[in-house]
Amino acid sequence: MAVLNKQHKNAIVHTQKSDFKRHFKRYWQLYAMMALPIIYFIVFKYVPMFGNILAFRRYRPGMGPYGTQWVGLKYFKTFMQDPAFWRAFRNTLTISFGNLIINFPIPIIFAILLNEVRRVRFKKVVQTVSYMPRFISTVVVIAILGEMLSPSSGLFNHFLQSVFGIEPIYFMNEPKYFRWIYILTDTWQFTGWTAIIYLAAITGINADMFEAAQIDGANRLQQIIHVTIPSIMPTIMVLLILNVGRMLNLGFEKVLLMYTPTNSAVSDIIDTLVYRTGLANQNYSYATAIGLFSGIIGVILVSSSNKVSKKFTGDGIY
Amino acid sequence: MKMYRSKGNIIFDAIIYFVMIFVLLICLVPFLYMLAVSLSDPKAIINNEVSFIPIGVNVEAYKQIFAYPNFFRAYGNTIFYTLGGTSISVMMTALFAYPLSKTFLKGQKFAMKMVVFSMFFSGGLIPNYLLISNLGLTGTRFAMLLPFAINQFNLIILINFFKSIPNEIEEAALIDGLGYFGILVRIIVPLSKAALATIGLYTAVFFWNDWFNGLIYLNTDQFPVMLFLRNIVNGTSMLGDAAGSADKATIAISIKSAVIITSTLPIIILYPFLQKYFVKGLTVGSVKG
Repeated sequence: MAVLNKQHKNAIVHTQKSDFKRHFKRYWQLYAMMALPIIYFIVFKYVPMFGNILAFRRYRPGMGPYGTQWVGLKYFKTFMQDPAFWRAFRNTLTISFGNLIINFPIPIIFAILLNEVRRVRFKKVVQTVSYMPRFISTVVVIAILGEMLSPSSGLFNHFLQSVFGIEPIYFMNEPKYFRWIYILTDTWQFTGWTAIIYLAAITGINADMFEAAQIDGANRLQQIIHVTIPSIMPTIMVLLILNVGRMLNLGFEKVLLMYTPTNSAVSDIIDTLVYRTGLANQNYSYATAIGLFSGIIGVILVSSSNKVSKKFTGDGIY
Repeated sequence: MKMYRSKGNIIFDAIIYFVMIFVLLICLVPFLYMLAVSLSDPKAIINNEVSFIPIGVNVEAYKQIFAYPNFFRAYGNTIFYTLGGTSISVMMTALFAYPLSKTFLKGQKFAMKMVVFSMFFSGGLIPNYLLISNLGLTGTRFAMLLPFAINQFNLIILINFFKSIPNEIEEAALIDGLGYFGILVRIIVPLSKAALATIGLYTAVFFWNDWFNGLIYLNTDQFPVMLFLRNIVNGTSMLGDAAGSADKATIAISIKSAVIITSTLPIIILYPFLQKYFVKGLTVGSVKG
């Protein structure tokens, strides 16, 4: 291939210009289509990326959007010494680890069990209903939760009181329940939806393998352990690695909705810290520095986990 | 041996059906409860009598929110953002996806790399905020529409779909004298209805549910209904606690439930019809992430 390229190089150099002209003339409509979307990407995706420069410059109100003077790593040093930052950092890690440990396996288990349902119509009904929460706004999810867990009129407290005789608990306000509520609402919202991918993988398993297992005398549980799970292992691995890569991307809006001054010790995550220092207190440069820091960690996580995924499964996201 | 196996099977099935029914209940109960509360008599709510069936049917809460002029304005705003945002987004995504599906174009690879990179690294909250306000979009409805014109994930789903359309169809059209714009509009788009419906639904759900951008960019009269709901949730809970009046609090609860139901109903009604499209769309797109 390389040799071939070399041989043709001279010929190509001669015709390159006219080739490009011909190429452009022939496909100009395709290039024209891209014009508007490319402008969109530059303005709304890439300009903000360069806007991160604000993290290294001092912002003064009314004096240009990207600051007035270079201050180097000043803001980074400041937040590194800021206990509020480390608290938010710890909270972010704790919630995302908990989320991964609980909400990664549940969709797999759900998909495997759903696949074992023999009645097709019932299976369809369960599937349809289990996707539904994915389409509900986080505002609605938290509002419903607030009502159900309300200490005065909520269904859940009423249930606890009448069945177990437990005094009403103000779940939404107590720091010790915050993480559980965060994680379990994620379970509620996304289990059915995430399971679609695993179900698709299970459907793709060759039926001969199950037959062979049956002939060997494997019962259904043994078939799951020895056929289904090993067969969907590549899918599981890719998704696990992707999830690790996206770990810092917590549902920021959900935390913002669940935030109360009482639970702030556990509910302040990096994103809400950026929101508070940046938009509420107009400390733009400082907030940009924190945002940039977590963005870079995110990129490192994604790209390294993608590399791991490619190495072990031959499949990645890009 | 056979006996044991069939007995095991029965237990196994029982466990599975138990889990499935549990999932059904968990997913449905919150909505049924909200519906029941929104339709119940305030007295029944106070006495904790309401579970899943409305008690002493009462549509007062709905009458109240319908009498509240801001509710209809917010609802109208949401419909506007959803329709406007979805049409802009589907159009822009298709316009970009079609050329990007042609690997022979110069710069196609580079453009793909730029798209993928922007999925993982972004400006973050503050630079985005400053951009929107420097463009003068703050306080205009465009702030809800323009920044979300293309979602990279949807774009990649569509590119993969366009790639799967056989080239021969296009070649025939090119020979017949149709340009690429003509091919996109008259051939590719009609052939891609399922894929376009999928990304259209994702986008519509995004715009319908969005509230945060409204919070930071818009004026009160431009608020979408989700932000309206969020303000009710925040405001009335404070009112309830401060006033300490049980009556006020329960009225607030039924109003909240009524807003929850009315703002969620369109999605719940629509989505079973579109389900067959989006499951396919997700499994096609998921392979590539």
